[in-house]
Amino acid sequence: MESIWYKILGAIITVIVAFIVGLTYMGLSRKITARIQNRKGPPFYQNFIDALKLASKTSAIHHGFMQHIGPAFMMITSIMSVLVVPVLTGDQWFSNLNFKGDLIFLLYIMVFGPLGMALGAGQTGNPNSAIGVTRGLSQMVGFEIPWVMALVALMMQYKTASIVDLINIQQEQGVWLMFSSPFAFIAAVLAMLGMFRYSPFDIVGAPTELASGPVSENGGKYLFTLMSSNSIFAFAKLTLYVDLFLGGASNIVELLIKTFAIYLIPMLYGTVSPRYRTEQAIKYFWGWPLFFGFLALLYAAIF
Amino acid sequence: MNTIILIFIIFLGGAILTFLAGMLKGILKEVLFLASVFVPVVLFFTNISIGQTFSFQAAGFAFQWGITPLSYVFALIVAGLGLMAAIYAVSAMRNKDNVSFFYFNYILTIMSMLGILFSRDLISFFIFWEIMTWSSYLMVVYQGKDVQTVGIKYFIFSAVGAYAMLMAIVVIYSLTGSMMIDSLIQSFPGFSFNMQLLIPILLLIGFGVKSALMPLHVWAPGAYSHAPMAYSSVFSGALSKMGIYGMVIVMVSLISHIPGGHWFREVIAWLGGITAVMGTLWAIKQDDAKKLLAYSSIGQLGYIIVGVGIGTPLAMMSGLFLAVMHALFKGTLFMVVGAIERQTGTSNLTEVTGLIRKMPWTFLAALFAIIALAGIPPLGGFISKWMLYESLIGSNHYLLVIVIFFSSTAAFLYCYKFLFGFFLGQEETEWSHVKEAPAMMVVPMLILAVSTFVLGVFPGLILNPINEAMQTLGYANTQGHLWELSIIFNEWGNQIAMQPIVYTIIGIFLFFLTFLTIKGYKETRYVTTKDISSSGEVPKEHENLTFSMNFMQPFFRAVEPLMRRQIDKYYTGFANGMEALFDFTRRIYTGNGQTYAMYVVIFVVLLLLFKNIIFG
Repeated sequence: MESIWYKILGAIITVIVAFIVGLTYMGLSRKITARIQNRKGPPFYQNFIDALKLASKTSAIHHGFMQHIGPAFMMITSIMSVLVVPVLTGDQWFSNLNFKGDLIFLLYIMVFGPLGMALGAGQTGNPNSAIGVTRGLSQMVGFEIPWVMALVALMMQYKTASIVDLINIQQEQGVWLMFSSPFAFIAAVLAMLGMFRYSPFDIVGAPTELASGPVSENGGKYLFTLMSSNSIFAFAKLTLYVDLFLGGASNIVELLIKTFAIYLIPMLYGTVSPRYRTEQAIKYFWGWPLFFGFLALLYAAIF
Repeated sequence: MNTIILIFIIFLGGAILTFLAGMLKGILKEVLFLASVFVPVVLFFTNISIGQTFSFQAAGFAFQWGITPLSYVFALIVAGLGLMAAIYAVSAMRNKDNVSFFYFNYILTIMSMLGILFSRDLISFFIFWEIMTWSSYLMVVYQGKDVQTVGIKYFIFSAVGAYAMLMAIVVIYSLTGSMMIDSLIQSFPGFSFNMQLLIPILLLIGFGVKSALMPLHVWAPGAYSHAPMAYSSVFSGALSKMGIYGMVIVMVSLISHIPGGHWFREVIAWLGGITAVMGTLWAIKQDDAKKLLAYSSIGQLGYIIVGVGIGTPLAMMSGLFLAVMHALFKGTLFMVVGAIERQTGTSNLTEVTGLIRKMPWTFLAALFAIIALAGIPPLGGFISKWMLYESLIGSNHYLLVIVIFFSSTAAFLYCYKFLFGFFLGQEETEWSHVKEAPAMMVVPMLILAVSTFVLGVFPGLILNPINEAMQTLGYANTQGHLWELSIIFNEWGNQIAMQPIVYTIIGIFLFFLTFLTIKGYKETRYVTTKDISSSGEVPKEHENLTFSMNFMQPFFRAVEPLMRRQIDKYYTGFANGMEALFDFTRRIYTGNGQTYAMYVVIFVVLLLLFKNIIFG
């Protein structure tokens, strides 16, 4: 039984690290965006203050039970993703569920939470929430296609659906997959723009338009749960990109450098782009990203 | 007496007795109905073993009935769903007109489906197939609405399928001199290439109609949505699987033996893929929940056909597993719509809103079924989706896998639309009187919904019979290297271990349920859905905040080009063309003797002119 407790402890530490790193990155992004817009901006630890404030608040009202389950569903997705994605390569302590699920499982567990959250948002009866959800689902259909194409290309080329195997292949070859499968990397990065929902793809939350969309009826502890779930989820996604295309990371410093480098892409792209309409966003993903996806598949089929 | 014949006698006798009992009032006919479904099903589960046969001679033909491992898998669907839907139907159809007619057709449908699965010869197969078509046709027109359009369309397509199948049977008899399915399979590799192409195509037209394969699917949306919902759950869940059953036999036992047969199967798989995409897109567009589910059924059957068409061990497993899962979750969903229609009087997603607090158990069943339909872990739908993707990637169908992925991602849209439209959103006073459906309707739904969860955690329960069925079809034993009780593997040995995943999910869920949800739920008080944050304004009671019209409009602006073509229009064009042709023929046969005399003269003149060419 000892090993089980070790595993659970490892999992809890992974989640806490993911939470801290994710919140820090969000704080940094606020700071960087502010500097780009020639503002001073909040300190990078502002998000921790916000989180603490939210966690200590109490709510007064609710619209039904489903609204309360929504954040719990969201948390399942975030924690499951961070457990399935290998955080540190070759580390027994944090292997978590790495060998129990593969890429396609990850793709599907990633939509579990947003759908659960969407149900919670639906019960509040706020039209803004429902509009945000329909936008989010539509956008997901958009970016999933190039993203899946990139993943299928990788899986076909290396004959494995396991993330751990893909890391090992990169270490054996000594070349990162972003260089040995460049088209898949490009398609995946373009899809990532939609996945992180920074501008121009911030159509779900849509500040000043939808009143933060699906989360608009959540406050206090629920908003805190959603916020921490988002930061854990962001960390999981970044780590996934690092594992797939940047050869994984063997220690925490390497991981932080690589994930932050990836994180800068959607963030910096967002600071200079105004928001798309939903159908524009979908059509964006079915343009060049789709083209690179096809190139990736072709590349994988030939080599 | 032989149990096999006993089952059919009870079915038939039960159907007639129930029909006659319709003249009596009261509970007698309900009891008779339940008994005549329940007893044969129990007999089937307890007394029928695989390989047991029953043969007799009639009219110079040998008939043989018996169950094979493959038909056992499908018989599980028919018996299980048939039983649950029967319990549901008793409550759902109470106080309707002509209930005994419904019962009669229902029993006949279940009987004919089991008959198809039992048939080892083509004659009884065809006879049961026709009984199935007839009884389902009578159910489609049961409510008497749109008989001209929906009923006739279903009947024409069924007739085309049946005639194609009959033609195939006649051809087979003339070639082999036997009506046995086994002898067809044995002698098929010796046929000439033309016959090897003709027979599967004719049979596939017959099976494709029932399994709603594009372009033979146009009858399905109308037929599924016009039958009573208690029947539609069997219609979509089990009856369409008869087409899949036939398709599996044709694909594996016949087409595989044609030289170059894998191209044939590739075409079928692609048709399945296109069916899946178009079914899904049209499902998103529907505002009527019945139509939505009908199109969604077409899409899901498309996945099954892809799996069966590709035919690698993993793909075939996924197809058969999804066939079982689809029966469970789509059966549940049609029942949910039936329950809502009974309680509110409409099944329109734009009218009904906010039922979650009024019908919580129905919502729970719908939630499970929708999660299974969307293919989200840990429910059973995920297992089949996962196996399908892995098999497609493993067999290098990299374009088809993208098509399937597109369709199943788009399926989230109608999943959410279904749940949101009925259960979530603004609670309107118009529906404040709605009560939960009777227990006899809710319990079957919940049983089916929970079984999707059980099969998600322990897929081996169903994969075991599927594995045996596949072994009789000529596949190798896959237990241990493609699946175990709760672990599934892909062809490269990557695994999904469901138990640790499910335990982790349950652990996380319980943690947040106790420390966040229940605590927060108790500490806060309920307010109506009018009491929401809307930029500082407080919405008045009469203000309409319901969001249900044009629900997925931005999405349709993006996919518009895909949906411009409708196969229905081509059929209408074809029908108009035929009508024009008949009109032209009518002009030749004017009914005027003078014109006919002129035809004779013209014919003789032509004969004289060209006599040298014709007679040499």
